Amino acid sequence: MKGKIKKSLAYRRIAGEVFIVDASKAEMHELNGTAALIWEGLAAGKTEKAIVAAILSEYEIEEKTARADLENFVKELGKTGLLQ
Amino acid sequence: MAGRLALRRPLKKAPAAFLGRIGLEIAGFGLNLESDQRGIISILKHRYGKFRAAGKSGFNLKVSVAPSRQNPFKPAIILTGSRLELGRGDFNASLDLETGAGELRAAASEQCLDAFLRSLISFLLLRYGGFMLHSAGLVKNGKAYLFLGKSGAGKSTLSKLAAAAGAEVISDEINLLRFEKGKFRACGSPFWGEMRADGRPGSWPLGGIHLLGKARANGLSACAGGEALKLLLRCLVNFDKSPRAAELTLKNASRLLAKVKFSRLEFSKADGSFLDLIK
Repeated sequence: MKGKIKKSLAYRRIAGEVFIVDASKAEMHELNGTAALIWEGLAAGKTEKAIVAAILSEYEIEEKTARADLENFVKELGKTGLLQ
Repeated sequence: MAGRLALRRPLKKAPAAFLGRIGLEIAGFGLNLESDQRGIISILKHRYGKFRAAGKSGFNLKVSVAPSRQNPFKPAIILTGSRLELGRGDFNASLDLETGAGELRAAASEQCLDAFLRSLISFLLLRYGGFMLHSAGLVKNGKAYLFLGKSGAGKSTLSKLAAAAGAEVISDEINLLRFEKGKFRACGSPFWGEMRADGRPGSWPLGGIHLLGKARANGLSACAGGEALKLLLRCLVNFDKSPRAAELTLKNASRLLAKVKFSRLEFSKADGSFLDLIK
């Protein structure tokens, strides 16, 4: 899994959601649920295994689904330009 | 020999060198501007006269006149160490944030000086835990209430109705929030929209923030934190594109959401009766 968050981004969990501000592009992104959990895992430098474990402890889903969610979301982050 | 009376020719006075100064205080920030060019000092005195504050410590800027150029129109801000540079087509400023000394080259126009001051004050407010916000602001029972909305949301309409009903309007376009001693305060603003008033200095404890919407009837309802934050960030006046600015924006916003009550206000443009809902 290649998912390193861009250093220039600022993010914070506010009112249960993660808000990401990309000042250079004057853009704001909003994440909730699994996406917020994955983002915080990536930001903390957690391994793929640890992030999947965090998803499984929060939601009643199969490991295969959690892994696929993680992979898809990281791809999406890359396309949006939020990863290095 | 007796003294002779000599007719003296009046001495021709050399034209006095003009050195004009004006001291301002906006949102608690002191700005002393000095120039040998009369025109620009006159504009500053005329435009910001209500915010004059002689001898207030803060920034000391030497001001000179620059050509008026439209491009680039959006101000850019660069902070290198303690050196702050602000610029757009018609102004260029360089300030040392530690000593307060600096220079400003600006076109001699109200629009240009306004853009410079908005850029500088918005930068400073963010670093002092506050914000510059596109909003209407008014005072009720000694407290300030802000009404967030982008163009067309009804800021000026609401402000005019409030003024007609006897309420004091802080600004119908841009309001200044500071965080002091654990509380947010709204400060008097010289930045106005349609109402084109001068504003006045002062600061009031912040009573609440409303997300603005026009409607047939007045109504007040709760709004979710996420919704409030999104509009707050959309209404933020900020020209600093640095990661530090983004970090401060979220930090200050998070604190504002925790300390201040946000709600949604729908108001009718029939009269100022919406003021009864503001508590």
